[in-house]
Amino acid sequence: MIHPLDTVLSLVLLSVLFSFGSSRLPGLIKVLAFQGVVISVAPLFIGHDLSAGGVVLTLATLMIRGIIIPLCIYLAIKKVAIRREVEPIIGFHASVLAGLILIVAATFVSRKFNVPSVSGISGSTLILPTAITLLVGGMFLLMARRNAIAMVLGYIMMENGIYLVGTTFSVRAHHIVEFGILLDVLAGVMIMAVILQNIKKTFDDVDTARLRTLKE
Amino acid sequence: MVEIIFIAPFVTGAIAFFIPKEAGRPLLVLTGIAHLLLSLFLWIFQPEPLFPGYFAVTPEGLLSLIVISLLFFLISIYTTGYLDVADIRSENIFIGSMLLFLSTMTMVTLSDHIMVLWIAIEATTLASTPLIYTHRSQKSLEATWKYVLVCSVGIAMALLGSVLITLAMDVGNVDAPLSFSGLTGVAKDLDPVWLKAAFVFILVGYGTKMGLTPMHTWLPDAHSEAPSPASALLSGVLLNCAYLGIFKTHKVMYAAGLGDFSSTILMVFGLMSILAAATFILRQTEYKRLLAYSSIENMGIIAFGTGIGGLGVYGAILCLIHHSLIKSSLFLTSGNILLGYGSHLIEDTGSLIRRMPRTFVAFFGGFVGISGFPPFGIFLGEFFIITAAFRAGHYVWAGIFILTLCVVFAGFANHAMRISFGGAGETAQMEEKPAMFWPQYALLLTSLLLCFWIPDSLYQMIFNAVSAVGGGF
Repeated sequence: MIHPLDTVLSLVLLSVLFSFGSSRLPGLIKVLAFQGVVISVAPLFIGHDLSAGGVVLTLATLMIRGIIIPLCIYLAIKKVAIRREVEPIIGFHASVLAGLILIVAATFVSRKFNVPSVSGISGSTLILPTAITLLVGGMFLLMARRNAIAMVLGYIMMENGIYLVGTTFSVRAHHIVEFGILLDVLAGVMIMAVILQNIKKTFDDVDTARLRTLKE
Repeated sequence: MVEIIFIAPFVTGAIAFFIPKEAGRPLLVLTGIAHLLLSLFLWIFQPEPLFPGYFAVTPEGLLSLIVISLLFFLISIYTTGYLDVADIRSENIFIGSMLLFLSTMTMVTLSDHIMVLWIAIEATTLASTPLIYTHRSQKSLEATWKYVLVCSVGIAMALLGSVLITLAMDVGNVDAPLSFSGLTGVAKDLDPVWLKAAFVFILVGYGTKMGLTPMHTWLPDAHSEAPSPASALLSGVLLNCAYLGIFKTHKVMYAAGLGDFSSTILMVFGLMSILAAATFILRQTEYKRLLAYSSIENMGIIAFGTGIGGLGVYGAILCLIHHSLIKSSLFLTSGNILLGYGSHLIEDTGSLIRRMPRTFVAFFGGFVGISGFPPFGIFLGEFFIITAAFRAGHYVWAGIFILTLCVVFAGFANHAMRISFGGAGETAQMEEKPAMFWPQYALLLTSLLLCFWIPDSLYQMIFNAVSAVGGGF
């Protein structure tokens, strides 16, 4: 029997593949927004006892990860660089193939880890592979795209992976602390969006190849 | 009521964004004074925090806090003079960000909860970003972009490491508060595999912020493009805050009986940083980048000393304190040089001794101190680290360490002599106002004083901090 959480997480894995294959920025942002929504509702499928605080936090996460952060980046590029290519260093077909290999490797590696037996996720086999895929996939976007916006999206994907590990395996952190982390991530992305606008204004482009004057 | 010490600068920082220009500078200095007084109060009375699960007054935290306070007070005095001369368009944002930066760094020193520490360190990144972008040039934009992206991604690794600590607790069936002080007592029960993985991720994460090679790439850019008071804060205190995160995790590792594992990693990263800094210092062309690479070198020394253990940890803490004092004075001085010569390049400077005699005294004093000449504290710290390395039988490590220090010294001395005595440097002079050299003198004199006389309470504090990771005589 397939654990309901695994059904949800398979959507996340698909979104990683889509993000590797998308060539246009608006599409990439939409994929990341979808991923943010799915990641934030994932804890509801575990069956931890839901307190009122837990529901509020899930809603706040959904708002911030699924709506505010993607919207923030979308608005940042709307005025300046919409419908732009993501300027890949590694081509799209090669990227998707790399994504497939990554998922297989993550599944293989995660069997070797000794994960805590938290009630509610005992039947789920996809948590750790998905988390590893998100982390490494985010790294991949950071390195394989020259476009500054794609790099920010890679960072968000990494944060999604960490959030998945944090919320599914462990129920220790207090809500107030989780909320602090969320605010930090939000503020970070907003600052990045402001810098993106300035980069666009100053260099008339968001290609990071132009940011190469400072060396040694 | 410990928490007031970081809430107060947060409030004044928020106010500074909205008040007129003339009121900003007094507010900066007044907050500096108030913060210093509060830190002294904390140092003497060590009161209980209001939220004990999240914050705690620890010896290593107090050490960092008192350094932050003293540095910020002196830097705020320098800033009042600097803002008169330098061309900074958005003074409100600059002063407000300085205060918010102070608030977040203070929060780092008092954090005890593992996640709260992460939140505070990430907040330091966010608060300091506007400082680096103050000049609004293409180069500063590039430096800011690198700083935010590299540090955010790096610190995300530390968040993953912190989450892995909770996994180590779950697998080991440990039921304790998720705080450093709570974990130290039960560290032996934590799952060793997850704990090791957690340490590696936390070291990579906070190591990015601390400037350890190969994650240091943001550091020279940010330090050279930020205005000098901000560079002094970044180098003097921000790097210490990141070190504090690594030190606290190392403490848990040591308590868990995995001290050898974390020590070896610290030594490898430390030595790599010193080696990388040495190669870049030798052929450096800009003096602010030179100072930045020297910071990387010193952070390497500190990580190496912490890894050696025993007397080495004591040496590392000495280096930490003296590096903060001396390096922030050097960065302030570099602000004078930049204003006087109008160029970042070493070859455009020269004859500092004739052009700006008072700045020269601060610069040369700082150079002597930072390169580890005998009377200064860096020398003592390095001497302790080398002794500890020999005692522990790490002859090869110690050999490489000494050789690299010699290379760094030769490179640094070459450039310092060029700036002080060489060349013509016929460009216009800057009027040397008291506010722009007395803070540097005060920092250097404090460092000199601490070499000959360490107050008993300070000595006890260092000793308490290092004994938790097997340090001491």
